[in-house]
Amino acid sequence: MDKEILISGRNLRRHYRRGSETVKALDGVDVDVRAGESVCVLGPSGSGKTTLVNLLSALDAPTAGELTIGGRRVDGLSERELVAVRRGLLGYVFQQFHLIPTLTVAENVALPLLFLERRPAPGEIARVLEAVGLADRARHLPKELSGGQMQRVAIGRALAVKPRVLIADEPTGNLDSHTGEAIFDLFQKTVREDGVALVLTTHNLVMAARCDRTLTLADGRIVS
Amino acid sequence: MTYSALAWKNLVRRPVRTALTAGGVALAVAVAVSLGGFNLGYRQAIAGSIEQLGFQVMVMAKGCPYEAATLMLKGGSGLLYLPEEAHAEIRTDPDIEAITPIFIGIAEKQGYSLDGAPAASAYTILTGVEPDSFRQMKPWLQLKTGAGYAGGRWFAPDATNEVVMGYEVAEYEQRKVGDVFYATIVPNGKVEPELHAFTVVGVLERTGAQDDGTVFLPLRTAQEIFGRAGELTIIGIKLKEFNGIRMREFEGRWLKIPEVQVVSLEQVKGALVSLVGTAQTMVAAVAVIAVLVAIIGVINSVLTSVHERTGEIGVLKAVGAGRLQIFRLVWLETLLTSLAGAVPGSLLAAGGARLTDAVLRHVLNIGVTQPLVRITPGLLGATILGAVVLGLLAGLWPAGRAAGLRPVEAIRSGE
Ligand SMILES: Nc1ncnc2c1ncn2[C@@H]1O[C@H](COP(=O)(O)OP(=O)(O)O)[C@@H](O)[C@H]1O
Ligand SMILES: [Mg+2]
Repeated sequence: MDKEILISGRNLRRHYRRGSETVKALDGVDVDVRAGESVCVLGPSGSGKTTLVNLLSALDAPTAGELTIGGRRVDGLSERELVAVRRGLLGYVFQQFHLIPTLTVAENVALPLLFLERRPAPGEIARVLEAVGLADRARHLPKELSGGQMQRVAIGRALAVKPRVLIADEPTGNLDSHTGEAIFDLFQKTVREDGVALVLTTHNLVMAARCDRTLTLADGRIVS
Repeated sequence: MTYSALAWKNLVRRPVRTALTAGGVALAVAVAVSLGGFNLGYRQAIAGSIEQLGFQVMVMAKGCPYEAATLMLKGGSGLLYLPEEAHAEIRTDPDIEAITPIFIGIAEKQGYSLDGAPAASAYTILTGVEPDSFRQMKPWLQLKTGAGYAGGRWFAPDATNEVVMGYEVAEYEQRKVGDVFYATIVPNGKVEPELHAFTVVGVLERTGAQDDGTVFLPLRTAQEIFGRAGELTIIGIKLKEFNGIRMREFEGRWLKIPEVQVVSLEQVKGALVSLVGTAQTMVAAVAVIAVLVAIIGVINSVLTSVHERTGEIGVLKAVGAGRLQIFRLVWLETLLTSLAGAVPGSLLAAGGARLTDAVLRHVLNIGVTQPLVRITPGLLGATILGAVVLGLLAGLWPAGRAAGLRPVEAIRSGE
């Protein structure tokens, strides 16, 4: 493949201390994410999926290993420095949506721009809402939305900064299968139309089959 | 979306907590503004009231200068008298520009039962003066003119049944020129009160000083009806040249009269200012406590709010917020809380200045007629600024804690 590598991890380890024992949540993982591809991370609960995507999105730092995001070595960086890496390049979608309850749909979507110290251009937020199918919900508060709609807002928020990689941790895990499929379709559309790379964790084998590549984790290692 | 909007939305999310915190700030600011207004006002009030006496030096029976101060400004109780001969002697002093003998007595107001226990306000100050020298000392005294006051004049020195009434006492007693003023007096050494009737020959314009509440009558008449012929309460003196040296020289010359003391009004002023200063220290202590409580309130409220929103702050970081940006957001919340308290608090203090004045006046019990509490725009501005600065200091810790949260841990703990 000749596509640009946006994220590259080598021998990634992430160990947690829990009391006196060490939990090896990730124990030597190699991973590459290229522009425009969709990568699915499969694996049972506790296998290290969340830990992995947190590293790939610079929300967390590896205990050991090499990690390059957007051409920049990030292993060993402090939280202060990781912020700069996250900004603009990466969009993150949580399983529990994590919208800000006091903000409207449009405000939630516009929020990341505030932290980029950038005002949305006229119609910019409306276009994002249109893209995620929420054009008519701009002024609603999160509590007035269904789960599927909330996840659409979260995707809109991730897309607002026009990221090159969209990272989603079990984005359909809290949704019924029908709604989950619709959300997955939205991700697919985004990858297709905007050329955004997608890293997504799931238990759903049908979704995994529709991604360009699949990584399967077990006990912090890639098994296939 | 702006930081302020975001901060504001977080504050109104918990309206009761925010209101209580802002209320604490408002209270502290109100106390601080009142104290500041008192600090600005009382020196001037004391200085102004003393200036209105018209003289720089007074000679009075030996006693405490504090008492002297209160006596002069209120015509208060515990009056001491000095022999009239002192006046005759002192007036020969070459440094004197003007001198006036004054006799002060207290009469029961007409219309009050003599058997009952009348309130303190049921008394009138009667001041016996020599009309010419007294008016020379207070050239600003003006007689009212117009309907009801036509023909107003001062009494002759030897008049026996004429009075001139101060503005307020005339108003209160509803007396005009030509009306009768009754005074019930228990003469010195007697038990039975005696009723006297006077004709009001003049009413004074408002002066803003204690003269407004005084009824003036000829010195001789006053001495006589109070049963104190040949006695004075004070002698008011204006020196040709007034300074510390002249004052000490003058004082030295008249130490030889054993019954009297020479008091400069500068001394009286100093005594009053230090008296009031003590009260001020107590008020300041209350203010410090109020401010501390408000600061702790702000810290506690914002810390609680940050703690509640740990997960949310993690999310903000995950969508791109840096340390400084989180810090800024939380700091803004403390700033808004402080402002939300400081502005109403200072307005409250400004609006309640009269009440504060009345309370202080009552507690301090000094007869200063000018406002003790002076609240200026500068004072309001400075206090609000102070509240904002303290609010920002109070916000440092919570904002720093929020800024230091790690996103993954914050989100996990918030779930
Ligand atoms: N902050 C943490 N502290 C301690 N252990 C953790 C922490 N986060 C995850 N783990 C542990 O690491 C392992 C991998 O967790 P996770 O990455 O959440 O797996 P998955 O997302 O696949 O369910 C689990 O055993 C989990 O209990
Ligand atoms: Mg997980």
